[in-house]
Amino acid sequence: MTNYYLQRTARAILTIWVVITATFGMIRLLPGGPLAQLEAKLLRQGVPAGQVDAMLQTYQNVHPDKPIEVQYIDYVVALLQGDLGTSISRNKPVMSIIADALPWTIFVMVTATFLIFAIAIVWGALMAYREGGSFDLFSSAASIVLSSIPFYVIGIALIIVFGYQLELLPTGYRSTSGIDPESGLLVFFLDALDHAYLPILSMVLAGVGLQALAMRGNAIQVLGADYVRVARLRGLPDRRVAVRYVARNAILPMYTGFLTLIGFNLGGSVILEEVFNYNGIGYYMFLGLDNRDYPLMMGIFLIITTALVISVYVADLTYGLIDPRITTGESNETY
Amino acid sequence: MAQTDHPDDPIATLEDVSVTYDDGTSFVLDGVSLHVERGEILGIVGESGSGKSMLASSLLDAVPDPGYLSGSITYRSDDETIDVLELGQSELRSLRWEEISMVFQGAMSSFNPTMRIRDHFIETIDAHDGNVQAGMDRARQLLADLYLDPDRVLESFPHELSGGMQQRALIALSLVLDPELLVMDEPTAALDLLMQQSILLLLRELQEKYELTMIFITHDLALVGALADRLAVMYAFDIVELAPKQQLLSNPSHPYTRALLNSTPNLQAPLAQMRPIEGQSPAPINVPSGCSYNPRCPLATEECRTTDPPMDAPAPEHSVACFYWEKAQYEIELNYATEQSGGDYS
Repeated sequence: MTNYYLQRTARAILTIWVVITATFGMIRLLPGGPLAQLEAKLLRQGVPAGQVDAMLQTYQNVHPDKPIEVQYIDYVVALLQGDLGTSISRNKPVMSIIADALPWTIFVMVTATFLIFAIAIVWGALMAYREGGSFDLFSSAASIVLSSIPFYVIGIALIIVFGYQLELLPTGYRSTSGIDPESGLLVFFLDALDHAYLPILSMVLAGVGLQALAMRGNAIQVLGADYVRVARLRGLPDRRVAVRYVARNAILPMYTGFLTLIGFNLGGSVILEEVFNYNGIGYYMFLGLDNRDYPLMMGIFLIITTALVISVYVADLTYGLIDPRITTGESNETY
Repeated sequence: MAQTDHPDDPIATLEDVSVTYDDGTSFVLDGVSLHVERGEILGIVGESGSGKSMLASSLLDAVPDPGYLSGSITYRSDDETIDVLELGQSELRSLRWEEISMVFQGAMSSFNPTMRIRDHFIETIDAHDGNVQAGMDRARQLLADLYLDPDRVLESFPHELSGGMQQRALIALSLVLDPELLVMDEPTAALDLLMQQSILLLLRELQEKYELTMIFITHDLALVGALADRLAVMYAFDIVELAPKQQLLSNPSHPYTRALLNSTPNLQAPLAQMRPIEGQSPAPINVPSGCSYNPRCPLATEECRTTDPPMDAPAPEHSVACFYWEKAQYEIELNYATEQSGGDYS
């Protein structure tokens, strides 16, 4: 058992290390990369060559004159100290951009994922209890339709309806300019909420269908199980059967999906935040792509990968705690 | 259909009990009448799909949806007579498990996989407003009677117990509210032969200790023969013959019973004499008219094809649904010696 935890931990660390090393290699191997472009640009502007080299060294900790292994070690040490280099386009440390943007993305994506699962569990269970009825048929159809529309299409539609036509909610940005925590925490929070409604709603609408169908399938299977029939015959109150028997056993298989979806959604924030002009890490990722700002891209890429690895890791470690049948966890690796 | 035996103290009486699906077009239980005497072990034998499990579920008015249960089922406790099919939800809830309890096919799937065995006992006692302390003492005693270590079993999750242990824990769970009647539907089907035998012994001990009435449903004639006081044979959703065990084994009177005994592996009968029953048992949607066994019966006549035979009594307490039971007794030979009949069954 200890062995299992060690193994999963080692694997998580290894995955992150591979990503770090890959970014190190990529930034040096890409021909015509941002550094060459920048160097050429600066030289053309008449900046002395020595000064150009010095500037380049501050970006992304690149010291072309040192041996490669020393560069690599410097790079990793800098990363471990939280130094992701300096953004070329924004002229700020990447770490401070991420520190500013990440909480917003986490707020939107974690809330959206929680809502997706909360709604899907109740909705799916209701469908299962009324299997074959008109509610079930209508809901199944609706879930399939919803999950076949991409979230950015829903997002754009929501912006048009609620932002421009009804003028109920802001059409973009993560907060109104001028409002910050100093304007009062409640005011700030309500303002942030106002800006988060539509991004969250579009994620939920697009994501809830599939999860509801999964819950429906699980719950139908559990409802047909012998132990539910026996529990009813033993005279247990319907509430207890619904919660301890049906819900518990139907939700368990969705737990890993829930944690990994949080990780995936953090990565999927690029398009969402672009649609909503929402200044989270996805927004800056896109900005980095647009400006060939490699340090910024790489930094956010590292953060997103790390988030995914951590969510899978947490799922692996905790599944055994919530499902008594999994003690070693070996039969239940997430990936 | 007339019932020919009249026990003095029936604990449960079924009159013309039917279960239908598809708006009455398919019968999965077709007018069964039966008395269960207090304190006996009644074995019900039949092949797969003969309606055994439906009979068991009917006793608790627990036929799976959308089945429709009709007829009359009367349960007599010490002081009152209860019409089971007339009960409301809450009365039915207290009848089940407190008076009539059931052990289902497949103990492995009868426990909630994410709950400890202890919680199954506690919630059952709780749901029936019992005293949890006293109930758990009883549970421990029952588990000990079944040769289980109460502390270990109660603390376990279902998957941590072997099949035989789960089966015994399930029997203890079914007896925790001190029911009068225990209905067991293939309780040993998933177990190996040694475990089957030891469970049978334990059931006999429990029956004596707790003065239980038991209905033991199985497809395994040899198994129930060792345990039961009386045997009922089901064919095509109805009981075709019912008699005390010795009587049924030494003097089977329904052609189906005789054929069934001849097809059962038996130490006294040479292997070459084992006979399969030709044809197959009917499906619920097209049960033959008249006697449901007539297409497979060597003695069938025109009468059998048109008229459903009533119960006749070859001997006291022995009833059989056949016009020609006398003819069957000498025309269909048994492949085991009659004088030793039942020797290896009891």
